Amino acid sequence: MRIFNSGAGSTRAGLRITGLVAIGLASVLVVAGCTDNSQSTSSTSAADKTLVIDKSFDLKTSDPARAFELTGSIVDKAIYETVLDFDGSDVTKVQPGIATFEENADNTVLTLTMTGTHTFSDGSPVTADDIVFSLQRVQGIAGNPSFLLDGVTVAKTSDTTVTLTSATSNPALPFILPNPSLGILNSKVLMANGGTTGADDQAEAFLNKTSAGSGPYQLESYDVTTKVAFALNPNYAGDKPAYGRVVLENVEGPTQKINVQAGSTQIALDLNADQVQGMDSSVKITKNASPYLIYSWYNQDPAVSGGVTDNADFVKAVRQGIDYSKLLSIAGEGSTQPGGMVPSMFLGAIESDPANVFDLDKAKASLAASGYSGQPVTFSYPNDITVNGLQMQTPAEAIQSQLKDVGITLTLAPSPISTFLDAFRAGTLQSGIMYWGPDYPDPADYLVFNPGESLGKRAGWAAGSDPTVTAAADAAAAASGDDARKTAYEAWQNAANASGPFIPVIQPGQYAVSTSEITQLDLNPVWTVDIADIK
Amino acid sequence: MTLVTFTLANLVPADPAQAALGERAASDPAIVAAFREAQGLDKPVVTQYLVYIGHLFQGNLGTSTQSHNPVSQDLSVAFPATAELALFVIVFSIIIGVGLGTWAALRQNRFSDQLFRVLSLVGISIPTFWLALAAFYVFFYQLRLAPGTGRLSASLQAPPRVTGLYTVDALVAGQYTTFFNALSHLILPGLVLILYTVGLLVRFSRSAVLDVLNQEYVLAARAKGLSPSRVVFRYVLRGASLPILTIVGLAFGSLLSGTVLTEQVFGWGGIGQYAYKSATTLDLPAVMGVGLVVGVVYILTNFIIDVVYGVIDPRVRVQ
Amino acid sequence: MAKPPGGASDSRLELEADAAATAVYDEVQDDRAGGSGGSAGPGGSGASGVSFSALRNRLRLPPTFRRPMAIIGMSIIVLWFLVAIFVPWIAPYDPLAQQFDRLQAPNAVNWFGTDSLGRDVLSRTLYGARISLPLALILVVASAIIGSVLGAVAGYFGRAVDEIIMRFSDLVFAFPTIILAMIVTAALGPSLTNAVIALLLVSWPSYARVMRSMVLGARSREYVVAGRLLGFSPFTSLRRDILPNVAAPVLVLATLDFGNAILLLSGLSFLGLGATPPTPEWGAMVADGVQQFSDWWLAAFPGLAIFTVVVAFNLVGDALRDSLDPRTAGAVQGVKI
Repeated sequence: MRIFNSGAGSTRAGLRITGLVAIGLASVLVVAGCTDNSQSTSSTSAADKTLVIDKSFDLKTSDPARAFELTGSIVDKAIYETVLDFDGSDVTKVQPGIATFEENADNTVLTLTMTGTHTFSDGSPVTADDIVFSLQRVQGIAGNPSFLLDGVTVAKTSDTTVTLTSATSNPALPFILPNPSLGILNSKVLMANGGTTGADDQAEAFLNKTSAGSGPYQLESYDVTTKVAFALNPNYAGDKPAYGRVVLENVEGPTQKINVQAGSTQIALDLNADQVQGMDSSVKITKNASPYLIYSWYNQDPAVSGGVTDNADFVKAVRQGIDYSKLLSIAGEGSTQPGGMVPSMFLGAIESDPANVFDLDKAKASLAASGYSGQPVTFSYPNDITVNGLQMQTPAEAIQSQLKDVGITLTLAPSPISTFLDAFRAGTLQSGIMYWGPDYPDPADYLVFNPGESLGKRAGWAAGSDPTVTAAADAAAAASGDDARKTAYEAWQNAANASGPFIPVIQPGQYAVSTSEITQLDLNPVWTVDIADIK
Repeated sequence: MTLVTFTLANLVPADPAQAALGERAASDPAIVAAFREAQGLDKPVVTQYLVYIGHLFQGNLGTSTQSHNPVSQDLSVAFPATAELALFVIVFSIIIGVGLGTWAALRQNRFSDQLFRVLSLVGISIPTFWLALAAFYVFFYQLRLAPGTGRLSASLQAPPRVTGLYTVDALVAGQYTTFFNALSHLILPGLVLILYTVGLLVRFSRSAVLDVLNQEYVLAARAKGLSPSRVVFRYVLRGASLPILTIVGLAFGSLLSGTVLTEQVFGWGGIGQYAYKSATTLDLPAVMGVGLVVGVVYILTNFIIDVVYGVIDPRVRVQ
Repeated sequence: MAKPPGGASDSRLELEADAAATAVYDEVQDDRAGGSGGSAGPGGSGASGVSFSALRNRLRLPPTFRRPMAIIGMSIIVLWFLVAIFVPWIAPYDPLAQQFDRLQAPNAVNWFGTDSLGRDVLSRTLYGARISLPLALILVVASAIIGSVLGAVAGYFGRAVDEIIMRFSDLVFAFPTIILAMIVTAALGPSLTNAVIALLLVSWPSYARVMRSMVLGARSREYVVAGRLLGFSPFTSLRRDILPNVAAPVLVLATLDFGNAILLLSGLSFLGLGATPPTPEWGAMVADGVQQFSDWWLAAFPGLAIFTVVVAFNLVGDALRDSLDPRTAGAVQGVKI
């Protein structure tokens, strides 16, 4: 069959073909590589500077009345203004936004008075009608953020004043109003594009293309899976931001690290402690305590608990059996062990609690007292999300291994967040690990972790099953004035740690890595980062 | 095909309403009911299917529960991304794969033959996701030769849409920087997939050419004293083109599979990533849309190959 | 689109496969005539009661395994199976114990380094053989059996049975394997068992196709017809006269498919749809490496493990296929990821 072996011509022809192909590929690679490099340098040195921010997207929509995701908040913060505001990273003090506010003595009526000039991207001024429309739209659409204004009635009282009346005392309201989901929209433009203040609203598609806000930027392009680009709002009444064009790119943590080191991106928002460790000195690392709280739960519902997780001594054994300091070393520098469910930067947070201290001997004793006989406990967690760059799987595997030393057998049950939430909301998961991000920077947000409340029910903690904790929670909700609230919230968390099904495990560190070009970058618990403030 | 996708999608035990709605909204029964009604989830499954088919004929694939966009709109973005990658890969793979395969056959059992055979085996044995990762680590992280993830650097805007293929659109619009940028993004994921596809093609074209080499007409051509290159291109490759064509079609199909994992690593934003995202988020309309597109591509590929078949081999036409 | 694809492309495959079937058939028949009443052949994974004597004679031919590549492949396979069996004595540490400093580069204590929880990567990689190899074996054997039976039934009975079975296999074929498997595992919930079920659903058609075309070719053979005339029931005829003669290509396909099975399983685990932690599964370990990819050793070693197993099976499968008629090779090729 060796017909052509003597004929050198054919092989040379073959060689030529492959050689050409190889050279062609190589030259394309080289040319492309060169143009790419020159591209990135020229674009940053140009007068009209582009800022590139890497974020791992959880984006669903840019319609503020529907968005309640981290990425959505970054986007909406850039294109909409809110009635009230926070300054930089400080969420303990409410600042004026479009309006200033005043509250009556029992915290039921909040009056907004418009201040300064604010103009929408089409040049028209922001009016009290726009505020009423936007806030009522959030309530009417009943999307994810609508609970922010539960029980609040919005009414226009004059051309410059709006009142928000709450059915019960609502001391948290001023801290809620800076949320980007309560951004003010141009009501006329919106109504012309299908916008209403009811469930029949059709403006979402419009808002995902065009922004109708008075914020420093407007949407240039919007794609939920790849990137969102912002251009300056020419009619913005405030100070012009440092960057004329901003691109928010969907990039996973590991790649963000390389991007920011190579300088192709100026800011990386989803790096975890391990990834930050190996960074060279050319980049700047902004470290902050994250408002996120990773907790573990043990279902109290006898139908779900398998006769194990609803045993008080069993939960106690878990509390004493988790090696918190080891978890912190895994979560990395900057992470802390929260004392209770309220994260460290909010009013009423506690630093530590004697119930949640690692002690292997005590844990074994508690376990013996519980009568647990080695049956496997299903431990669920979502496997496709990260909290500040930390995968839920990492602490889950660590806890499994630590509790094994105590004598508890955990069977890990990872699932995608969507299937996980389905079962978790139904309260059918025996135990597991999950996180909670604040909806607004006030401890009242954490009262859902109570018997009969929404999160309590997920752990099978029925109303009336724990009167001590319920009483402490009621006292905390009713307290008025910072000092009284602080004491009441601390007492509630101590009570919950003593007998509740939730164990606060880690409050991870939050990192932002930026190139030397960036001189100002503040991380905020509510909207992560205000693009217009970056310098 | 729609039936299979639909059945599969409805196998999902979890409630899409719960998955699509957020934390707070899902705990409100009224909102859940409204969502189910809007999505037609409250009707019997058979009705849902008929409604789906009805909409399909109007070009309506439904609305993604995750992106809130019409599925057809999402697909019109994702599909060209994958198509661009797949076309890039298949063109180079055919050139390299058939070239090397022919060469290996001509040099049967010699060193270069053995080498190519082993290399092609290596090509189809490397896990694509691992190779993608390794390529990314070496060329991007260590050498900084290749650009990062995605189809285009963040500082650039996508060219005005004509075909949806960035390289083509950029050329049409005369944006050469964008063109080279898009091309540079194509290369790394492209090479990863090319290695696999070439592996397949080398093996097949080698055996196809070997078959033809034994045919009498080749021997006759050779005996007539035609130059070796003429014999190869005029007689051998022509004779071997049918089986090679078959395998190209199959390789194209397997390429679509390969892109799922590769796109995941390179953040490509194509059909593969879309399929993964919609499957894990139980986005039923999107999953069905993906199934449909993939099915159509499969049928189209086969149709095209059949047509080409007929062009090359008159006997098939008669059949 | 409500109609399944098929038609021309299908007939083309048949055409090819038929020719291949005839070719292989002749050869196998010749061997049979040569007469060798040996015992059960290698593998023994085929349908029950089938005599593999002919096959064995075929495969025992020295040249097949005297090729250096086949020897290398066989050695690697044997090595990995030994590892899978004896891993508790081989592995230096407990694969689940989080006992070392985290994310250490390879060193004298941890030859392959440690992972993000302080586990020994070498031990985990070795233990991975215990997960991937048996599962891939189950997967391949099960899909070979299911696919062959369906294919044989379709080919032997023809008509409506054939139509239904083959249209169904067309449907599955039209879908990229991994996407279909992804949907199924997402629906059933991620676990290794579900991943195997999902892959089983998508991998039987290639066997069905090969088997069907072989049976089609064999059906009208004189000795089969003679058997039927002797009063054999269809199933007896299939079992006694046809299966022994078409088993060889299926066995080759199964060997080649073993590599595919490993790739697919690890691919699903890579996507988080297969192995559940802390199971030391190779694909899942590579996925860990993605998160920390500056720590190259996390992904490099499990990836190499996948690669060596797959390449070994492909080398052996290749050699086996070459021992068949070269044209059969075309029919037998598993063209999937």
